[in-house]
Amino acid sequence: MYRRLGWIALAAVVGIALFVGTRPPEAPPTSTERADALAERIRCPTCRGQSVADSDAPASEFIREEIARQVEQGQSDQEIEDYLVSRYGDDVLLVPPRSGLASLVWVLPVVALVGAGAGLVVVFRRWGRAWVET
Amino acid sequence: MVALAPDEAEIPRRRRGRLALWSSVAVGVVVVALIALLATRDPSGTRLANSPLLGKFAPDVSGQSIIVSPDGSSVPTFELGDQEGRWVIVNFFATWCVPCQEEQDDLVTLVADHAEADDLRVVSIVFSDTAANVERYFAERGGDWPVIDDPDGQMITDWGVTAVPESYIVDPNGYVRAKITGGVTSQRIEQLLVDLGGAS
Repeated sequence: MYRRLGWIALAAVVGIALFVGTRPPEAPPTSTERADALAERIRCPTCRGQSVADSDAPASEFIREEIARQVEQGQSDQEIEDYLVSRYGDDVLLVPPRSGLASLVWVLPVVALVGAGAGLVVVFRRWGRAWVET
Repeated sequence: MVALAPDEAEIPRRRRGRLALWSSVAVGVVVVALIALLATRDPSGTRLANSPLLGKFAPDVSGQSIIVSPDGSSVPTFELGDQEGRWVIVNFFATWCVPCQEEQDDLVTLVADHAEADDLRVVSIVFSDTAANVERYFAERGGDWPVIDDPDGQMITDWGVTAVPESYIVDPNGYVRAKITGGVTSQRIEQLLVDLGGAS
């Protein structure tokens, strides 16, 4: 019984994988969609926590135009982000880079989570020992 | 509940008193340090700012000026690459911006002071404004240096401009040496030129 169930599960997984793998790829984003998506990731340099896509500040409008221009010229997303960082600094990215000092934004929460987990394990063990002793 | 003897109750009270004293001293030191910091920094209107462009070769500034020559006979063009051997103040401005209006007299003075030595040029780039406004502004307030329109913002993003006024000092070799946010004064620019090793 269990063996048959295993074979059924395996067949289901293979079927789903084949279905997903053989689906035609999604159409690539248009230039406008790419420019809009990039603008969502770029910080408005004169606002707090707003992307240039959401801001009406003149500087944001110019950055949006520049992104659209570079997308039309065939620049990759990374090249456009690198250009903006070279003019406005790392702060222009709403999503911090995963390298350099800014990577601490990604690393520190993980370190804090692991530390908190380890702390909880130590505390629960201590409580467990105290409970056993009483 | 255990009643403490008078001496035993006195000790934590004294300890709390010392803690309060040291906490007050620490807060006082922080407040004094903050006041000293705020009192000695540049006024918020004019500030040397950080920029990834500092120390890098200056982005291009070129184009035909909106402002015609003083005698009205020609429309000058400007190429930053042609200014080798001179300091250049690249000034981003708009006619609707009050600090820009306030710095205009100082820029006129600066240009006049360096006219004879011909060791400094000012070029202004229009930030979100119209050519008609700019022509009227210069006619009323003076200034006959090149003023370049940038309707698509190409130079504005090339220089990483966030708001106006913003000015950049480019050295005689074409490298960006300083970024100033807020209005400038001629004395401030002269002092910065001295600090950067330029003749004033």
